[in-house]
Formats: sequence, C-alpha cells, structure tokens
Amino acid sequence: MVMNTILEIIIIILLAAIIGLFFLGLSRKIMARIHWRYGPPIAQPVIDIIKLFNQTSMSHGKLFNFGIIFSLSGSVVVLLFLPLGEMCPLSSSGGLLVILYCMLIAPLGLALSGGEAANPITSIGISRKFLLAFGYELPLLLILLTVMTHFNTISIVDIVNMQLQTGWSFQHLPLLLSGIAYILILPAILDLRPFELIQAPQEISSGPMIEYGGKFLALATIQHAFNVFISLSLFTNLFLGGAENPGYFFLKMLIVFIILLFVNAVTPRFRIEQAIKFLWRWPALLAFAGLIIVSVTG
Amino acid sequence: MDRNKLGKWLQSPGKMGQKYSLHALYFCTGCGIIEIPPTITARWDAERFGVIPVATPRQANLFLITGYVSVKTLRPIIRSYEQMPEPKFTVGFGSCPINGGMYWDSYNTIKHLDKYIPIDGWIAGCMPRPEAVFVAVTHLWTLIDKGMADGYKKYREDYHYYRENQEKILGKLEWPPLFSSKKM
Amino acid sequence: MNHTGTSLKENLLSYFDDILVEISDEHRLTISCKKDSVITILSSLNRNGYNHLALISCVDWIKDNELELVYIISAYTEDSEKGKMNILVKTKIAREKPELLTVMSIYENAEPYERELHELYGINFKGHPRLIPLLLEREYEIPPFRKDFDTRKYVQDVFDKIPFVEDKKGRK
Repeated sequence: MVMNTILEIIIIILLAAIIGLFFLGLSRKIMARIHWRYGPPIAQPVIDIIKLFNQTSMSHGKLFNFGIIFSLSGSVVVLLFLPLGEMCPLSSSGGLLVILYCMLIAPLGLALSGGEAANPITSIGISRKFLLAFGYELPLLLILLTVMTHFNTISIVDIVNMQLQTGWSFQHLPLLLSGIAYILILPAILDLRPFELIQAPQEISSGPMIEYGGKFLALATIQHAFNVFISLSLFTNLFLGGAENPGYFFLKMLIVFIILLFVNAVTPRFRIEQAIKFLWRWPALLAFAGLIIVSVTG
Repeated sequence: MDRNKLGKWLQSPGKMGQKYSLHALYFCTGCGIIEIPPTITARWDAERFGVIPVATPRQANLFLITGYVSVKTLRPIIRSYEQMPEPKFTVGFGSCPINGGMYWDSYNTIKHLDKYIPIDGWIAGCMPRPEAVFVAVTHLWTLIDKGMADGYKKYREDYHYYRENQEKILGKLEWPPLFSSKKM
Repeated sequence: MNHTGTSLKENLLSYFDDILVEISDEHRLTISCKKDSVITILSSLNRNGYNHLALISCVDWIKDNELELVYIISAYTEDSEKGKMNILVKTKIAREKPELLTVMSIYENAEPYERELHELYGINFKGHPRLIPLLLEREYEIPPFRKDFDTRKYVQDVFDKIPFVEDKKGRK
C-alpha cells in the first residue's frame, strides 16, 4: 500500500513535468505558427533545460538557493493533492483548502530567492507578482467557494465523482459563471498575455528571473511547467468533469490551453493597475454572482 | 543539423544542449541592431535554430556585438560578458568591431574588439544580412562540435592580459578582477 | 519676402546698433553679433515669443583663428508665419582660451549643448552649473573636434599601441 502510494507520487511528478514542459514547447510552436514562423521544435524547453544544467551557475547566497527549491517543492506538494484519474496519492485528505494554501508557496519561494539577489528590477518583478496574486486570489477564492457550496464538499475526488453522475459542472448555471471567471483569471496565473507583466522582458528584463542563470533558471523553468500543469488540471477537475481516463484528461487540458494561447498571441500587455482593475471587476463579479445564486438556490 | 539524433544526445548532452539552445544577448550598439529584429521575428525566424533573445546576461550564452563600439560602450560590454555563465560564445557582427570599419580613424571608437574580450567568430560586412547570422550560427555549431569555440577558456587563462588592455583604454576599472589567479 | 521676417529685422536693427541682420532665405534670419551682445539678443528674441532653442552649433575657422557659435532658434506658436521662422544667431570668439557666458538663464535646455561644446571644442561657458563630460570617457589634450586635432595620429598613438593578446603571449 505504501509502496503503491510512493510509486503513484513518482509517476504523477514525472507526468506533470513532462506534460508541463510539453505545453511550454507547444506554446512556443503555436505562437510561432500564429506569427507565420516555422518555430522551434516542441522539445525546445527540454533542450534549454539540458543546456542550463551544463552551465556554470552564479549563486547569490544561501537564501537564493533555498528559495528556488522551496518554490519547486511547493508546486510538488500541490501536485500530490490533485487527483489524476485513479491516481490521487494524498487527495483523500485536505482537498481544495490545502491547495489554496499551498499554491501561494511557489511565488513566495521565488520572492525569497529573488530578494536575496538584491537587484532593483527583481523587486519590481516581485511586487508585480504579488500584486497580481492579490488580484486573482479574490476571484479564485470566490470560485472555489462556489464549487464547494454547490457540491457540499471540499474534496476534489468527491467533486469529480459527483460530476460523473450529474454531468460536467459547466452544465449548471452558477458553476458556468464561475467557470468563465476561472478562464478569465487563468492567464494571470499562467503568466500569459494580457497579464504577462511579471516577466515582461521588454519592460523590466524578465523581472524576478533577471539574476537566474544556469541550474537556477532550469529549476525555475521546471517550476513554471508544474504551475501550468497544476492550474490547468485544477480547472479540468473542477469544471470539465475530471479524468475518466488519462488521455481524455490531457485532451481537455490541451483545448483549454490552446484557447488561452490564441488570446495570448493577439493581445498586448496590461499595466498592473489595469490588470487589478480587470481582475477585480469581471471575474470577481461573475464569481460573486455564481456564489449568490448557489447560496440562494441551495 | 543533428538535432534529432538521440544517440548524440545521450553521448554528449552538454555539447548538444549548447549547440541547439543559444540564448542570445544582443548588445545594441550601432547600426547592426537594425538587422536583428527581422532576424528574430517572422521574416527570418531565428527561433527555429534555437536562437532566442534574452533580456539579461545571466541567462545568455551567445553574445552578439552588433556594430561599432565606442569607448563608453566598451565598459558595459565587458561587464555583460563577465556576467554571462560559462560556456559562452561571442560573435562580432559587422566590420566595425573587426577593425574599426568606417570609423578607422575615429578618436572615440574601439578598433579591434578582440583586444579587450575574446571573440569566437566574426561576421564581416557592412551591414551583414540576416542570413549571415544563420551562417554564423551554423558555423558556431561546427566550432562547438570540434571544441574550437573556446574564447571563454582563453579569457580565463589570459585574463590579466585582457584586463591590462581594458585598463589601458578605460583607465582604472571600478570592479574587482573576475579571476584572481595570475599566471605569468 | 514675408512680413514677419522683415518686421523682426527692422525691430532688431532699431534696438541694437552693432549687429548685422540678413534675410538669407524665405523663413531664415541670420543675425551676426559681437560675443558680448549674444545674451541681450537672445533674451529679446525670447521675449518676442521665439522660445525654442533647437541647437547650439560650432564651427572652427582655423585660418581666422576663430570659433563661430551658432544658436538656432525657432518658436512654438499658433502663428504659422512665425512658427516657420528659423533664426540663426552667430558670434565669433577667439580660439585661444574661448570663453562665453552661458545662456541657460534664457533657454534652460542649453545645458547639454553647452556641455557637449565644452568637451568637443573646449569652450568654457561661464556660469554653467556643471561642465562635466557628456559623451567622452577619455581626456584629450586638444578637444577632438578642433581642426588641429590629428585623429589619425591619435588612433596610432592610442588604439594601435594596444597589443593583441596573442602577440603578447608570443613575446613573453
């Protein structure tokens, strides 16, 4: 039983890394095709990571090394609480509340290590990151509250199972509203345009990443890949009926991601106050409406 | 291009990674930077060779110096070069960094850039076309394959010579030496 | 010939006696004056609405042993005839120890121009708050834009004297 759980944990982490990196490569390829370019091979993020591990890397102190590992492990912890089909090593306990807490560990770790680098641009990037997190955490909280109230449980496994009986969450009106709200805040979570203001290479020279090089940048890329997997699979689990089988699950994530990429390819970047204004107006309003309908109708 | 050959990847992953993931730092000096936007965007698409621009020297391993180098820009060029992680490759773009080009008798322009930092390859021309960048990249691949793109090793070995030359032109440098060991 | 230019010419000639005003083109007025009256001419032009200093330029007349400064002035105004006017105020100063009063009290944007002229021609602007180098890193014995500055010799003395690293290694 214990062996089985450990095996599941390893498989989930590997699968998340592979799918996340595949999504990153796919995003570069699709963006290239939208620009009428040929584009890099889909394995380009993997090539980058192999190269980065073979470079010398410059450390800025103990906290710099610790913070990036802290952030990566935060993402891994969230992974273990997410059900992937039959595989759900830790999701029987905790559920959505734990995920909500643990999702903040990753940006905190990056902020810790970026702060140690003591570059002024890093501080701009980190302050933007937390302001943006402040922006999307409110709608996210309302969305999760709506889902929990509707299904009367906090366990994701139960939510997925109930969707198998009653159909996808998208078919119920209040959850449709919060689903749309989740799609609206997804670019902010994934650092895609129009909310690509954390890295913003043209503006603040890739923000918190400016002092990362070598293996630190590789770990940060892997963390980003995990982040892509986490937010997409949370959406799929909550609103698109979860995983009947792994291939189908992957297909759902892919479709959502490609829609986000199309938006990413054609939109410019918000300023930070515009982003907060947007996030606190439309997604928050939709999620709040969903929450009221759920609590009134029971 | 042997990017798809798995055997080579297993044999020497470091070398193959360096070849096919060149993160380029474009130093925008002079007119060469006009040629760079078409190179990296839709018309010529450098990304299919794995060459993408990055915004900070910490993430870069290819340094493109595009155009003439004045005395004032030499200082940030040296600083950026020293911040890049090893292995790093430098390419001088255009005839001005090679021998001064049309600024051959200018009072304020560096004539031979390789006196101050090591250069792995040159792209001659005034200005070179974007295709020349790709020729340079493919040539750099063969150099990496043969282990001949070793400018960063030269910089490590002969650092005090380079530092001496830099101090001759810039006066006292305000940052401490990168490598302390002094082999004579 | 437009009315604005001629009226301005008459106006200026009635106020100042030792100046030469010439209408050199349809919208161009050239004023040649002594170096002491530059400030008064510029301030009277500024009071008349010509409130934009576009450039301060300098010419080295090495045979006459003089430096000629050119202040190019135009106006931001709704009056289209006045807006098209370009006024060149020219003055000549000695090449040895050239000195001039700063015009920063009249046109504040003269600051970088005067710093540039100071380092490229060696003109000392009295009253300028910070005459520090603007573009150059090195110090030159003769300011580099003067005609007697031999660029080829300078390059041979400075840049070509620096040895290639390979040569250095070979010699040692």
